[in-house]
Amino acid sequence: MPEAAIWNFKELAHHELDGFGGIGEGMSIQIAKDGRRILWLAHESAPKNFTAIDVTEPRAPKIVARADLPQRHMRSNSLETVGDVMAVAYQTTQKGLQPAGFELFDISVPENPRSICLYDCSGPSSRGVHQLWFADGEYIHMSSGAPDFRPSHPKDDQFYRIIDVRNPAKPQEVGRWWLPGTQEGDSAPPPVRHPEAADTGFRPHNTNVYPQRPDRAYLGYIDGGMVILDIADKAHPKMVARWDYHPPYHGFTHTVVPFFERGLLVVSDECVRTEGADWPKLVWIVDARDETNPVPISTCPLPPLSDFMRPQARYGAHNLFENLPKPNSWKSETIVLATFFNGGLRAYDTTNPYQPKEVGYYVPAPPRGAPSGAVQINDVLVDERGVVYTVDRHAGGLYTLEMDF
Amino acid sequence: MKWTSEATSAALFAGADQPLFGRRERRPRGARLPVVVVTGFLGSGKTTLIRALLDRPEGADTALVVNEFGEIGIDQALLRASSDATVLIGNGCLCCNVRSDLEETLRGLFIDRARGAVPSFARVVIETSGLADPAPILQTFATDRALGGEFHLQAMVAVVDALNGAVNLERMEEARCQVAVADRIVLSKSDLARRGAVEDLAASLRALSAAPLREAALGAVEPQFLLDDGIIVRPELPEGSHRHTHGIESFALLFEKPMPWPAFAQAMGVLTNLRGADLLRAKGLVAIEGAKGPVVVHYVQHVAHNPVELLEWPDEDRRSRLVFVTRGIPREAVAALFAAIGGVAAPPPP
Repeated sequence: MPEAAIWNFKELAHHELDGFGGIGEGMSIQIAKDGRRILWLAHESAPKNFTAIDVTEPRAPKIVARADLPQRHMRSNSLETVGDVMAVAYQTTQKGLQPAGFELFDISVPENPRSICLYDCSGPSSRGVHQLWFADGEYIHMSSGAPDFRPSHPKDDQFYRIIDVRNPAKPQEVGRWWLPGTQEGDSAPPPVRHPEAADTGFRPHNTNVYPQRPDRAYLGYIDGGMVILDIADKAHPKMVARWDYHPPYHGFTHTVVPFFERGLLVVSDECVRTEGADWPKLVWIVDARDETNPVPISTCPLPPLSDFMRPQARYGAHNLFENLPKPNSWKSETIVLATFFNGGLRAYDTTNPYQPKEVGYYVPAPPRGAPSGAVQINDVLVDERGVVYTVDRHAGGLYTLEMDF
Repeated sequence: MKWTSEATSAALFAGADQPLFGRRERRPRGARLPVVVVTGFLGSGKTTLIRALLDRPEGADTALVVNEFGEIGIDQALLRASSDATVLIGNGCLCCNVRSDLEETLRGLFIDRARGAVPSFARVVIETSGLADPAPILQTFATDRALGGEFHLQAMVAVVDALNGAVNLERMEEARCQVAVADRIVLSKSDLARRGAVEDLAASLRALSAAPLREAALGAVEPQFLLDDGIIVRPELPEGSHRHTHGIESFALLFEKPMPWPAFAQAMGVLTNLRGADLLRAKGLVAIEGAKGPVVVHYVQHVAHNPVELLEWPDEDRRSRLVFVTRGIPREAVAALFAAIGGVAAPPPP
């Protein structure tokens, strides 16, 4: 198998981010007041917090700002911007540490992000926030711990929280939900654990909410499968549906993206183990015309494990392009763009939802300094111009592309 | 939009924006792999032309399909790996000989590419054997059951050599067919022939086809002449493009107004049903009622390629433009057929 492969994408630029090329799953575009297009990236791990890149000219990205984390024992991983406000997630390596929560920044001058507030989520059982969704400028939907949350199992330490940030100086929690049985004192029994080596917890990962259905939250619930919540009353979210396909599959449901016009859900797993130990991690197409009865109808085809399996490296599904409900985001209800670590970025045409068809891929060469010697493509974003941004988890930094399919 | 069990399964396929022909494509090939077919009689210069292409940066990442490795004259020293049927030839290219048939060979190449067993080539060039009838090759790419889902016939290139071309054209119907159905024509070895003979041959070629023609300087032409999509018909082409020689008719039709798809499909259905064997090729862009972009259509004898709707027209002209190459079906008859069916088709909804 060749180390690098490209089909129906055009590479515009590659920026290694000056040796800090490990990027998590926070990618967001701001159109600055002076018209510049700024891409904000959350780093996968310490020491860097976030990097801002001017991508007005996608063939020549330029770094305009970069921030360090205050502590080595934390990571940001996730961020979102709405207008000139940016929310950055903070998760600690151990429970009980600080700062754990999220920080809001005023980014009206991209070169000089100014802190508005730090929303504290730390506590004896909390590592803080792993992922946040911030699209409407009013509410943050996130996977987080809390000072008062007592999980029934230590791995179930994060749950779904809705935070009102209409006054960004003083965010307030307005609602929360967890899978019944995952907090001490729940009347429901705790969920049956996955085998110990593969137990990644019953907790949310992505928590997506769209203006087409502001009364719904779509949650990848890691070992709990996919969950749809009714959040018409934010103070009392109610479960509408849960699709749990593991076992026999290996858990870690990651992202749920609805194709509203088609009654479909695109659901991704995350590959979290190296050398194929949790193969296959997939992107699923789910018929959700009856949202209370989601039915998986296909998966996006992947090259065989042997093609992209590398020592100490992951190969399998991870992030999806999420049709961000923002004016500077591309939108499609036929094309799925997904990242697969060493399998790169791959694009699928789902016109026939029963037979998704691969229409392009981009697997860059192993980046310099990659700890595993392999590329680990982690996340993807597409702006309204159709420019594709994708990032490497450990070393490669940012790749800008054009779709050519 | 409410998600309820009342939603029909049609919604799963189409969504709210219901394109008539599936996802609108940026270009005729969509995401399929482009295929360039090079025809021409033995000794016409096909191999030289292809080798020159593969040596250029534009020709990198090409999978070349030949009948015999010997024909392409691969330098054995360039071989880096080989299986029974496939060899790597540098510049990211590979060369593959036809096993039992072309379809099986291409299917195998596609699968090998998907599994990473061969380099991730970006196009296929097929060098046909000298006497090949182009119609079966054209049909290979027509339907999903064949290879139409994976490969797109990007261009049919006919190579005619200035020394023997005139005699071949006069004596051999295959030679005339190769030229008539070609998207582009390369006139090779013109430096070896008398100027007068070259001009006479060019005139004979012009009598068969209005396709763009190039003289190959020392066996090569600019890469884009070979690689550009041949299905796009330029609106200026139909003016004076009517050809008639040796019983082969080549002509173009323009239609001012968008047609309903059923009317267009019926007209082509009548042609293919009654005279399929004589419909050597028809191709072009059609304005279809309800479609946002032009619809790419392509017919070879009895077989229709899947229509593809493009995102946008390639130019300002919004007229349908179709090129026909037939054996004895005159332009007037085809024009009258479209006029008659158009006349009885239901008017567009108000």
